[in-house]
Amino acid sequence: MHQLLTHQRKEKLRSPFWTKNILLNILLGFVGFWLFIMALSAGLAAIRIIAEFYSDLDATEVFTGLLFYFFVFDLISRFLIQKLPAMSIQPYRTLPVSRMKLLHYPLIRSVFSFFNLLPFFLIMPFFIMVVCAGKPAFFSLAWIITLVCFIGVNNFLNFSIKKYFIKKPVLILLLFFITGTLLFLDLQEIFQFSPWFAKFTMYIAGNPPLVILPVSMVILAYRLAYSTMKKNYYPEEAPGSRTITGGFSFLSRYGETGELLGIELKMILRNKRPRSVMIFSLIFLGYGLLLYDDLDNIIKLLMGGFLLTFAFALNYGQFLFSWEGTYFDSYLANKISAYHYIRSKYLFFAAAGIIGFLLTLPYILISPKIFFVNLSMLLYNAGVSSILLLFLCTNNSTSIDLGKSQFMNYQGTGAIQFLMIIPLIGIPIGIHIIFLILGIRHYTIPGLGILGLIGIIFSRYLLQMVVNLFLSRKYTMASGFRKIN
Amino acid sequence: MIEFNNIKKVYGAKFSLSIPDLVISEKELVGLVGNNGAGKTTLLSLGLDLIQPTTGSVSSRGIMVSDGDDWKSYTGSYLNESFLIPFLTPMEFLGFIGRLHGKNRSDIMEFLDQNSGFYMENIGSTKYIRELSAGNKNKIGILAALLPDPRIVILDEPFSNLDPGSRSWLKAKLMKLHREGVTIIISSHDLNHVTEICSRILLLDNGNIIKDIKTNEETLQELENYFNVMIPS
Repeated sequence: MHQLLTHQRKEKLRSPFWTKNILLNILLGFVGFWLFIMALSAGLAAIRIIAEFYSDLDATEVFTGLLFYFFVFDLISRFLIQKLPAMSIQPYRTLPVSRMKLLHYPLIRSVFSFFNLLPFFLIMPFFIMVVCAGKPAFFSLAWIITLVCFIGVNNFLNFSIKKYFIKKPVLILLLFFITGTLLFLDLQEIFQFSPWFAKFTMYIAGNPPLVILPVSMVILAYRLAYSTMKKNYYPEEAPGSRTITGGFSFLSRYGETGELLGIELKMILRNKRPRSVMIFSLIFLGYGLLLYDDLDNIIKLLMGGFLLTFAFALNYGQFLFSWEGTYFDSYLANKISAYHYIRSKYLFFAAAGIIGFLLTLPYILISPKIFFVNLSMLLYNAGVSSILLLFLCTNNSTSIDLGKSQFMNYQGTGAIQFLMIIPLIGIPIGIHIIFLILGIRHYTIPGLGILGLIGIIFSRYLLQMVVNLFLSRKYTMASGFRKIN
Repeated sequence: MIEFNNIKKVYGAKFSLSIPDLVISEKELVGLVGNNGAGKTTLLSLGLDLIQPTTGSVSSRGIMVSDGDDWKSYTGSYLNESFLIPFLTPMEFLGFIGRLHGKNRSDIMEFLDQNSGFYMENIGSTKYIRELSAGNKNKIGILAALLPDPRIVILDEPFSNLDPGSRSWLKAKLMKLHREGVTIIISSHDLNHVTEICSRILLLDNGNIIKDIKTNEETLQELENYFNVMIPS
């Protein structure tokens, strides 16, 4: 067991991601720290708020009821974000390590997770200042044990849920729908779970020997997770025959560029990570609802137009070339001209922009103004942003594992991904500010559109510049892609 | 046909490949042998412009490979898995490569008919390349390299992971191409294969070509002697 822990630590410390990407790790560390502070202050604030607004009720019971929502939220966010410590057990299977150990290991390892620490920051202030201070010792002890057990239940339940649902996206949606409905019923006070949850916890705390109940729930969740892991012990069998989405053969008519576009589309549809980027980008289309509250604010309109017509190109495009890292050599060694290759990327961005534009046409119902704004931003993105993005992406040199999930996956992310956004958004806003100073601010939107048109007209020339940069950088990119993460 | 002029490729402080002058003429079938890490793959990658030499240059038919794409239209190559597109089916991949070289569907079917002795029967399956076994991936890669009727063929350890039947087939195929005047460069760890089919053998050691042999009856013995020295007693 100790050896396994050491190996895992080495796996973490020696991954090129950890050693190389200090900036990103500092950022992540900061986010984690911030969450702890938030949890702590929420816990402290709860004491004051409950004392103020629910002074006629038992503070502990109210707080416990509120914790119900936290636990639901906790389970959902675990499902989406928490990475199971699934150290690849493959190499150990043929070594003299008992199967039991290999299965228990990731389960026990998961106890030391950020997600299990966070609730303590939330609960502890209240526990120390209210429960311990105002309740009998046995009550306090039973109360905290029960809550810790719930954290444990969530932790282990997540294994089973993840393993079970990950292959069935429809069920995931259904699960979200059910959870959503139940939460809705609860919040609308039609049928409330939180008081039951609070009563249950309070009852156990009142009768300390009953802590056996939550403890056995943890054990049950653990056993369930264990048996799920056991079922997944053997690697998946290769899938049988499937129908191939032939499609895109029409693209072959457009020569090399079309051919490359077809491959790129197949890559997106047949691999998990690019596919989830695509789905994730759909969420961006909802940004209009947030931004279109003030139709006289040019910055807001501009941002709306930018995001709606460029969301997918930006989410996907920031990792351009990295997506093809695992087979980049095949593009280099085969008869593919660099110009056609770059042009296929450019057309892809433009097409993505047009699709985004069409999908967000319903926003016109808010104001026809949006149509013109989005149209000029579409032109601007096609003529300027796309080419800028291509320029920036020649700095990408980390290969992306296409089979992994997108959530909390920072593979391929480097400083450049953070810096990219500055020129992309900065230039249109800068132009707006210049126009504002010149007192012609109403010309910003058409001005950007015209700039985009100029970019499109000269795209051949601009793309040739990208190609030259690409040719000088391709060796560095390719040697980066060949390194396995 | 392919010339390595004053090539030096330095990796860190430890390893470097240096080839002062190497000319591979038309119609040669060259075999590269050497221990792991001797620089075989590096040499082949330089020939395909996949890596940049620290100094020197590689030219193909008199044009530097880093200067243009012309050589790609008459060079077929397969070094490793990164030459395959993992999420395509074998047929989609071969179709893609074929179309890049201006071949249509019937050309590709004809090519597959001619080479049916090599590929597995289920080439038309709906499995993605990433789901194939190492041997079958290797076969797809070699087929893709041969598909465009290349004048130069570059293969890195083409015999590895192949079943005995396919090995014999590939040997015969390479010899046939050789007779037809195709220039071929392969690397291999199997001295028998290499001496059997190659007209010229280059022995690499720690980044240097230490032997350049025109294959004859004593070659196998000569190579075996070299490699046997390494056996710990």
